[in-house]
Amino acid sequence: MKNQANPWLTSNLWVLGLGMLPAAILIGALLYFTAWAFAFSFTDLALVGRKSVEWSWVGLQNFERLFTRRGFLESLWTTVIFVFFSAIVGQSVLGFLLAALLRGTQSSIRNVVEICIMLGWLLPDIVAAFLWSATTSQTGLINQLFIIPFGLKPINFINEYALPVVTIANIWKGTAWSYLLFSAALDSVSREVVEAAKVDGATGFQRIWLVMLPIIRPHIATNMLFITIWTFTYFPLIFAMTGGGPGTATQTLAVFLYNQSFSRGNLGFGSAISVAMLVIVGLLSLVYLRMLREPK
Amino acid sequence: MESTSSSRITAVALAFMAVIWVSPFSWLFLNAFNPMSTGQLEIPRSVGLDNFALAVSGNAGKQFLNSMLIAAGTATLSVIVGIAAAYPLSRLRIPGRNAFLWTLVLLRMLPSAGVLVPLYFAAQRGGLLNQFGVIVALTILNLPFTLLLLKNFFDTVPIELEEAAYVEGATLFQIVTRIVLPMSRAGIAVVWFYSFTGAWNEFLLPLIFARVQDAFPMSVGLYAAFGQQGAINYGFLTAFSIIYAAPAVGVYFLLRRNMNTGFAGVGVKG
Repeated sequence: MKNQANPWLTSNLWVLGLGMLPAAILIGALLYFTAWAFAFSFTDLALVGRKSVEWSWVGLQNFERLFTRRGFLESLWTTVIFVFFSAIVGQSVLGFLLAALLRGTQSSIRNVVEICIMLGWLLPDIVAAFLWSATTSQTGLINQLFIIPFGLKPINFINEYALPVVTIANIWKGTAWSYLLFSAALDSVSREVVEAAKVDGATGFQRIWLVMLPIIRPHIATNMLFITIWTFTYFPLIFAMTGGGPGTATQTLAVFLYNQSFSRGNLGFGSAISVAMLVIVGLLSLVYLRMLREPK
Repeated sequence: MESTSSSRITAVALAFMAVIWVSPFSWLFLNAFNPMSTGQLEIPRSVGLDNFALAVSGNAGKQFLNSMLIAAGTATLSVIVGIAAAYPLSRLRIPGRNAFLWTLVLLRMLPSAGVLVPLYFAAQRGGLLNQFGVIVALTILNLPFTLLLLKNFFDTVPIELEEAAYVEGATLFQIVTRIVLPMSRAGIAVVWFYSFTGAWNEFLLPLIFARVQDAFPMSVGLYAAFGQQGAINYGFLTAFSIIYAAPAVGVYFLLRRNMNTGFAGVGVKG
């Protein structure tokens, strides 16, 4: 990729530059808005009322409140549980197992299962929330199939087990992404390598654990990076299903941010929450990117 | 060593899995096709399309068009702006371009509620609190991902082909439209599809930008319909949900072949 060797590029530099201009303007706008969001975190700006006009700089007060007031740390813990069980354990492991199992089956089975899983992913967030609220309600599918026939009292799952319910709903919704990525990754593993391991007497488990997994390690890291970050900031599904409740049982950081910014109107404090989230996400990304770079 | 019995067990397990996965849809369809729907999970006494007729008439039909405009507009604008910038980014040796793109992607991880407030103030000042404003705002939010993915796809197009075309006398425009774009068709389809579904599903941004009911897309319409007429009309809501979910599903199946090859590119290191 030497510039000087590519005359169709070097002789058209101004055309290429012109092509980049619209994107540069929009990216500039994004940076400008992000800078404002940062700046808000040092103010007491409010959505309505006197402080929406006469706001003032308050230094690090918003960030102190993250740790001194109830809410942030609890929400962080809820988010960690939600991300760990729904994204890392649920979507990633299930997606990988499906990708590995479906490789060996007939294409008809593969197509049907793939389409079924994709349906969850393709469904808009609000509809998915609607669907899972109904499925786990007192008269919903789970009660009708597993609780009522055994003469037990119907359970209002969405109230009593809110966090597990939204976790399962998110696994249902998001597994397709991991499945597709792992499926593409496994396709890139050459058959010869797997065959060679087979000839050498490796069992099915060994072939996956010792041969395939190391080869697709970059894909695993990429997948982890994307789904962790998405799940960490995922908002509509939980918000539409529970609104963060009952109490604060499902109040992840994204819901906490929304409640503080738009329900309570504390835009300054809300911005501090989003800055804190960005720092956490940034640190996580660095860990994953390191995983991606250095070969063992 | 795969014996037929173990592969049969796998097939049964997979079929079981597929059934579990689609089972929540039972409630949606049973209610949508039941004109006397009560929101309960029950076999309808009569089957009819009354709910769908309700869901495409009046405001609901307008909301469908609004969603279509926003989603197709955002996806097309993102891809065009993205291609124009991603090709130079892929081919020219701009120092620090990868670090820059990753920083942008990271910045976009900022929950969008954070950027929403300044975005709203700017749109208000520019008179863009309308569909076009939503399209531009969503394109801005999409662009880091679009650029990174498109650049990765362009990186996989062998530069030797472009060299050969240049030697044969092709112009830059011909090289891009005849070689680079066709060869990264799958990637472009993936990016377009992501932007389309992302914009189609987007809820918070149009909720804040769309001031009048005429401008509501379906996501906001569905949310608003929850509390209409005092009681919840489950028949209408389920039918409306199916219509709302249909285009994203449809577009996926149209692009399915491209999608699955395109995904391989996502895994290529950034």
